[in-house]
Amino acid sequence: MDDTKRDGWKALIALLPAAIMLIIFTFFPIINTFTMSFMEDFQLAKGAGLLAINNGFSGIGFKGYQQVLTDPIFQSAIVNTLILVLVSVPLTIVISLLMAVALNGIKKLQGLYQTIFFLPYVTNTIALGMVFGAMFGSADSGVINQIVKLFGGTPKDWTTMNALKWDSFWVIIVYTVWNGLAFKILVFMSGLQSIDKQYYDAAKIDGTSKARILWKITIPLLSPQILYITITSFIGAFKSYTGVISIFGKGETYFGGAGNDWITIVGYIFRQMGSSGKGVYTKAAAAAVILLIIILIVTALQSVVAKKRVHY
Amino acid sequence: MEVKLENLSKVFPGTKGRPSTTAVDRMNLTIPDGQLVGLLGPSGCGKSTTLYMISGLHKPTDGKIFFGDQDVTNVPPEKRGIGLVFQNYALYPHLTVKQNIMFPLENIRPKMPKEEMVAIANEMAKLVDIDRYMDRKPKELSGGQQQRVAIARALAKKPQVLLLDEPLSNLDARLRLQTREEIKRIQRETGITTIFVTHDQEEAMSISDFIVVMKFGEIQQIGKPQDVYDEPANLFVAKFLGSPAINVFDGEIKNNRLYINDKLMSTSGYIGKGELDLGSEDAFSAFAAAGYKGTYNDYLKLVYHHEVKNDEELPEENKKNEHVEEVIYEKGEEIFDREFQNIILERMEELGTKLQKLEVVEALEKVREDHGLNRIVKIAVRPESFEINPKGKIPVDVSNIEHIGRDVSVVGHISEQESKVRILIPSELSNQLTSDKIYFSPKKYYVFETSGKRLK
Repeated sequence: MDDTKRDGWKALIALLPAAIMLIIFTFFPIINTFTMSFMEDFQLAKGAGLLAINNGFSGIGFKGYQQVLTDPIFQSAIVNTLILVLVSVPLTIVISLLMAVALNGIKKLQGLYQTIFFLPYVTNTIALGMVFGAMFGSADSGVINQIVKLFGGTPKDWTTMNALKWDSFWVIIVYTVWNGLAFKILVFMSGLQSIDKQYYDAAKIDGTSKARILWKITIPLLSPQILYITITSFIGAFKSYTGVISIFGKGETYFGGAGNDWITIVGYIFRQMGSSGKGVYTKAAAAAVILLIIILIVTALQSVVAKKRVHY
Repeated sequence: MEVKLENLSKVFPGTKGRPSTTAVDRMNLTIPDGQLVGLLGPSGCGKSTTLYMISGLHKPTDGKIFFGDQDVTNVPPEKRGIGLVFQNYALYPHLTVKQNIMFPLENIRPKMPKEEMVAIANEMAKLVDIDRYMDRKPKELSGGQQQRVAIARALAKKPQVLLLDEPLSNLDARLRLQTREEIKRIQRETGITTIFVTHDQEEAMSISDFIVVMKFGEIQQIGKPQDVYDEPANLFVAKFLGSPAINVFDGEIKNNRLYINDKLMSTSGYIGKGELDLGSEDAFSAFAAAGYKGTYNDYLKLVYHHEVKNDEELPEENKKNEHVEEVIYEKGEEIFDREFQNIILERMEELGTKLQKLEVVEALEKVREDHGLNRIVKIAVRPESFEINPKGKIPVDVSNIEHIGRDVSVVGHISEQESKVRILIPSELSNQLTSDKIYFSPKKYYVFETSGKRLK
C-alpha cells in the first residue's frame, strides 16, 4: 500500500515538467481561444497580451461565428481544405501502403531503400515546400517545366500569380503526399513486420494469390496502423497550411496562393490575425473552434467505422 | 500416402560471419501410408525443419522427398496436397471460424461453388467438433478450440498428408490430454498420413504409431513408442524418453566385468563391445607397439582364441570348435615375445590361473585403460525398474521420500557418487524404506559408453 502511494508520487513528479508545458502551451490556449471566440469585437489592449479576460470586447455572443461563417473567403477556405483532404488523404494512404508492402518484400538493399524513403521525414517542411516551389517554378527555371518541354508540352505557370487554380492544386497534392509519405511508410512497415509470418506461410500452403494475400490478409491485419494513419492524415490535412505557404510564398494576400485560390482554414486563421480591424481575433478564434469541431466530428466518424473494420 | 525422405539435408547459411548450421543431416525415413508419426527431439534438433521441408515451405539443401512414387522435392507447397497446422495455429484473426476453414477452398481455381465450400466447411467443423462456433472469431475461442479450427482448415482441401507443428505446446495440461486423443481420433477417422513434431516425449509416445527420435539433425532411433522406450539405442534416447527421467550413474568396466562403486554388478557381456575391439587393427598396432612381433593375421588368431576362452558364456558353436582353438593357441605361442606373453598371463589370471609377476598386471592394466578396455561407463535404470533388495548392488543415500498417489518416489543419490536418482516404488512397499541407505537391484538396466553408445 505504502509502495503504491510512493510510486504514485514519483509518477506525478516525473510527469510534472511535461504537464506544466502542456497546460501552458496547449490546454490554456485552447480554453483561451474558446473563450475569445465568444467575445464580440475582441481587441488587444495595450500591454495586456492575448489573455482573453484582460482585453476589451463589446459583448458575449456568436457574432464572431456569424461573421466567419458568412465570410466568402472562409467558405472557400473550407471548400479548399475539404478538397485537399479528400484527395490527398486517400492518395497518400494508398501510395504509402503499397510502397511499404513493396519495401517489405524487398530482400536486398531494404535498408538503403528505407533510408531513401525516410529522408523527407528528416527534412524541414518549409524547405521541402520551397524546393517544390522551385521545381514547379515559372516557365524556364522549374525542373518540372523543363521536363514538360522535353516531352514537347507547353510550360505552365504552376505557382505564380497567374497560375490556374487546378494547376496549383496538383502541386499542393503532390507536395502533401510526398511530405507525409516517409512517416506513413515507416508506420506501415513496422506494422507489416509485426504480422506473424505464419499467416503468410499458411496462405502459401493454401496457394493464395498475391493480390488475395494483400486484400484478405495484409490489409485486414494492418488495419490498426491504417486507422492510425487515416486519423492523423485527416487531422494533418485539415491543418494544412505550411505546405501551401511554402510553395506559394508568404504574405497577406498570399495565404493561399494567388487571389487566395487555395487558402485553407488555418491560412484563413492566420490571415485574420494578421489583418487589422475590429474583432479579427474573435473571427480567428471562432474559425479555430470551427476547425476543431470539424476535426472532432471526422475523427469520431472514423472511430465508429473503425469498430467494425479494425481488427486488433 | 507414403512419405519417403531420402538423404534429406538442410543447411542454413551463416549470416554475418557466423558459421552455417546443419539443421537436418542426410535424413532417411519412410512413413507408411495412414500412419501417425511423431518427430521427437529437443529444440534445435531439426524436427520442425524436417516438417517444413515436407510441407514445401523450406527447400532442402540436398536430398529428395517422395509422396508415394512422386518426387515432390521441387513441387511448391500448394501442389503437394498437404495440410499444415502451425504451432500458433495461424488462424486469420479477422475471419470467423467458417471463413477460416473456407479460406483454402476459396483459392481453388476454377472457383468452387459457394454452397459446396460451405458444405465442406461444415463437414470439417463437424469432424473436429467445432460446428457450434462457426461464426465466432478465433480470439473468442479457447486454445483447444482454435487448434481444432486449425486442423479443420488444414483438412479442408482433403490433403493426403497432414503435418502438425508442435500441436499441443500452446495448450494447458488438461487440454493437451484431450487434444491429443482428439488428434488420434481425427487421424483414425480420416486415415490420413499424419506427421507431427513435438519436444514432449509423453505426447509423442501416447498417440504415435511410431516415433522418430532426433538430435542435432540426425535420427537417433525409429520405432514403436514402447520399443524405443524399452530398448533405447543410445544414452540420449534413454534420457529423452520417460518421465520421471531415467536415472544415470557411473559404473566401471574392469577386466570385462561391470562394477558399481567397486562392487561387481555383472560378469558378462562386455567383451569386444568396448571402444577397443581387440580384433581391430587399432588394437593390433597397440599390441605391436607394446612389442608383439607377429602379423595381423597371427594376432587375430591369438586374440579370438583368448577372447572366446575368456568369455564365461561361450557360444555353442565355439564350444564345439574347442580343438580348433587349441591348435591356434599352440601356433600362436611360438611367436609370442615376452611382453605379449605377459598379457596372456594376465588373461590366465582372469580365468583362475595363478599369476607370477605383479608388475605385469599393473602394466597390463595401463594398456587396457589406455585402449579403453577398462573404462568408466554409464549405467541407466528407469525409475520404475528398481527393486528393494538388501543384497542389491545399487546403494542409494535417501534424501527425501515423496508420496505421489499410488507411487512412492525415493529421491536421493547413489552412495559415493554425485548422480541424483529418483526411484518409483509401489506405495505398499514404502514400509521397507526404513533407513537412510537402501540397497536396490535393477529389474532392467542399460549400460552406455560415456559417449552415449549403448553397450548392453
